[in-house]
Amino acid sequence: MGSLGRIWVLSGATFTQLVRMKTFYFLLIFCGLVALAGSLNIMAYNAEQQMKLVKDVSLGAMSLFASIFGIVATAMLIPRDMEDRTLYTILAKPVPRVEYLIGKLLGVLMVIAVSLAAMHIFFSVVLYARQEMLLADDMAMMAERADLSEEDVQNYAERVREQGVTWNLVNATGAIFMKSCVVTASAMVISTVATTSLFTIIVSILVFFIGHVQALARTYWVDVEGGGVVAKLFSALVALVFPDYQLFNVIDGVVSGEWIPFGAMLKLAGLTAFYVGIYTVVAYLVFAEKEL
Amino acid sequence: MVEVETTVGAAVPAVRIEKLVKDFSVPFRREKLRAVGGISLEMAAGEVYGLIGPNGSGKSTTMKVLLGLIAATSGRTEIFGVSSGKVSSRREVGYLPENPYFYKHLSGAETLRFYGRLCGLRGRELKARIGELLELVSLEDAADRRLGGYSKGMLQRIGLAQALIQEPRLVVLDEPTAGVDPAGSRKIRDLVLEMKGRGISVILCSHLLEQVQEVCDRVGIIHRGQLVKEGALEDLINIEEQTDIVLENAPPELLEEIRAKVDGSGARLVRMGHPRTTLERLFLRETGGEEGRERGGE
Repeated sequence: MGSLGRIWVLSGATFTQLVRMKTFYFLLIFCGLVALAGSLNIMAYNAEQQMKLVKDVSLGAMSLFASIFGIVATAMLIPRDMEDRTLYTILAKPVPRVEYLIGKLLGVLMVIAVSLAAMHIFFSVVLYARQEMLLADDMAMMAERADLSEEDVQNYAERVREQGVTWNLVNATGAIFMKSCVVTASAMVISTVATTSLFTIIVSILVFFIGHVQALARTYWVDVEGGGVVAKLFSALVALVFPDYQLFNVIDGVVSGEWIPFGAMLKLAGLTAFYVGIYTVVAYLVFAEKEL
Repeated sequence: MVEVETTVGAAVPAVRIEKLVKDFSVPFRREKLRAVGGISLEMAAGEVYGLIGPNGSGKSTTMKVLLGLIAATSGRTEIFGVSSGKVSSRREVGYLPENPYFYKHLSGAETLRFYGRLCGLRGRELKARIGELLELVSLEDAADRRLGGYSKGMLQRIGLAQALIQEPRLVVLDEPTAGVDPAGSRKIRDLVLEMKGRGISVILCSHLLEQVQEVCDRVGIIHRGQLVKEGALEDLINIEEQTDIVLENAPPELLEEIRAKVDGSGARLVRMGHPRTTLERLFLRETGGEEGRERGGE
């Protein structure tokens, strides 16, 4: 059997393990949250604002879930395999260490992908239902107003629908998934160095936060402080080690109705491949030399 | 039954360890800790080799190097002529670590399927192999139960089954009976004997010297990272100048006659009395043996 077959077996086992750990229970919480956001009827908000609220809550929850899950699941799986000696029995079979790492990474990403897909579908259904309900109410009221033309009413309906279920939401979910890939890969690197799950979780969360502020810090060092050679080299090193997670933050734009161009999505995909590739190579180099 | 190829094994030893040294770094200290200090040994194919020694003597470290789980500081280890550093050397090996924990969320059959698929087994071949191994370790009734509900003895047996999944020519067992009750321990010993009967080479690291004595052809004693004694079991434990004679239903007059003859021959009678059973045999007799006790779970 080739490498791909073994990686598939390992990722499948990881997927099953996470599913049987009842990780999908989170989806119930998510559904409750989105249903609540979808049922809130804030009088001060117009239809567009109410739909933005549903999108904001849903995409925010999806992003938070994907990142936290990526860190926690990765932190739990590899160090636990080492602690329980399950790793010995796997690596005592003809399984190269790099295949083990890739299998684990893919297993976690498969769970995140399935979860995000399920959340996306549920949230789209709620958003669509909310959109149609609000439109029906507003159009009924507008029909009674003599100062509004048919064109005004249609323009309004179009504006509301732009805030509803569009392909832009798929882009947003895709960006969330790509960010979670990078977060998970970074947690995998840390878990190969760490000996406990707790250490991995703490350091991964730290890296996660650094990734969110590194662009700001680089701007300060290079632009505000003058940007000497040392500062530029240091900022380049920081950018290489810590991904700029702000680049993946498309939620605010999507919530406000901004369209994410295809080129931007391609750029994000390239960035994701770059960081996941780099992190996988680093994780392998560390793990290959690790004394088990 | 597994047919073991002996054509290769006849020429190439199952295991060859040459001048193996393993040092571990100690955090915040310059000097290293030497766990294994120059061990050399060779094990023929089809042999059952007992590696015994106190805790921390270097048994497990030697086995980990042999399995490629850790790298040697110096020296060389080979499995059927292939360097342990190569992944391909693990095609012929099954390993049961000390106190193993497998994935609790998988059932016994799923566990074997997972390891079998990692070894490239598929379809009917894998299914048949799983059935055969579950029968071998007497876990057919618990095949669909998750490992979280297995007893220690059952876990060791499913561990043994996963070690055998790809029909390896060498099986490494590290303290296979640690924490297992006498009935389970006896079952595992019987399985080792079964492997021996199939021609599988076995390395058995154990503290239970009686068990090693019962199943091993050759024994190596490790102490402080050194192989202090090594050889065929019979050669090591035989007391050449003494002879055992065990009689059944011998009348007292015969015993007196023997005693008198011994006294007159110049030999010395070291001991005469009733032989004793072992505590293990007594326990098994009183508790009704191991059969069926764990089959349906404990």
